[in-house]
Parts: sequence; C-alpha cells; structure tokens
Amino acid sequence: MTSSHNQAGRTYAIEFGGAMVAYAVVLIIAITVLNANPHGAWRPFVAVAPVIPAIFGVLAFVRFLRRMDELQRRIQLEALGLSFAATAILTFAYGFLEFVGFPAVNFVWVFPVMIMIWGLGLAVAARRYA
Amino acid sequence: MNTQPYTRVDPEAPMRNKLHVLRAERGWSQAELADHLGVSRQTINALETGKYDPSLPLAFRISRLFQQPIEAIFQDDESGR
Repeated sequence: MTSSHNQAGRTYAIEFGGAMVAYAVVLIIAITVLNANPHGAWRPFVAVAPVIPAIFGVLAFVRFLRRMDELQRRIQLEALGLSFAATAILTFAYGFLEFVGFPAVNFVWVFPVMIMIWGLGLAVAARRYA
Repeated sequence: MNTQPYTRVDPEAPMRNKLHVLRAERGWSQAELADHLGVSRQTINALETGKYDPSLPLAFRISRLFQQPIEAIFQDDESGR
C-alpha cells in the first residue's frame, strides 16, 4: 500500500470505527430502555434507533470505495458480487426449507452471512491479482 | 520474437508490458512507482505480472511518467508481432 492508499484505509478505519462505537452505544441504550419499559407505542422507534449510526458506517464504506484505485475497486466488485449472489441463494434455500418445518430464523442473520461471504470473496479475488 | 501472426486464444488474456523494466531503469520500488501514479502497490504488482490491464486514464499516466507512448509500454499480442 502506498501512502495515499494507507491514508484512505486509515480514514476509513476512523470513520467506520466511530460509527460502530456509536452503534454499540445506541444499541446498549436502546436495549436498556426497552427492557425498562415493556409498554409504549414509541418502542419501535427505540428498537430501530441503532440503524442511524449504522447508516454512517455505510456512508464511510461508500467513501472508502470511492478513494480506492481501479484494481482495488474491481476486487471489491468481485467480492460484493459473490456475496450478493451467494447470500440470495442461501437465504432463499433456507426460506424454502422453512416451508417444510425448519425453524424460523431471524432476519438479522442475513447480514453476518453476507459479511462472511464478502470476506471470503475478498480473499479469493485478491489472490487472483496477487 | 515470433514472426508468425497469431490470434490470442483468450480475449481476456492480459497484455504484456515492460513496466517492470522501466521501473528497474529508474531504480524505483513498486511502492515508489505506485506513489508516482497514485495507485496501490498491489495494483503495480498486478500490472507487472500481467494479471491486470490498466484503465485508459492510468495507461496515459504511466505513459506520461515514463515519457513513452502507451504502445511502447504495452504490447498487444493480437497485433501479431
């Protein structure tokens, strides 16, 4: 990595890390508030509040993508494309299995699956150009 | 070199280039060349090993940096030389 690309990675780490710290803080507050107040029409708003800092994490990633050079962007495209398609197939396959009695799984598990396949795709794509 | 014209079997096969030679002439490391071109060292390595072909803007930056026309740096196998 060159200095300008190190800088891009550092900026991303700071921006994304900050968003994730904010996410953790809001999540803990939201859970505490929800547990202390079992009733109330406003509960859904508190429950989705951690999404707001998460959006800043997404924006940090988009800025990081824009600062990458063309090969790094291609590697990301291949990894994200793999993750997109494989997650679609996996979640559809499990959805079909739920029709025949497999236990229902919460939507929040979709994201970890996407991230894991993305990481795998990054390793595979980076090796292709190494 | 091969005087027989031939067609590249794989249209996706990367071009050959003499980036490695030009860099060695100046005594630059991959990281130094990367800095001059504003790309990552990973990209320089992929270009030199022929695993990645540069975009036109990057090819022009390389051309300007080494003060040679693009076709003097990158060889198109399909032209059959």
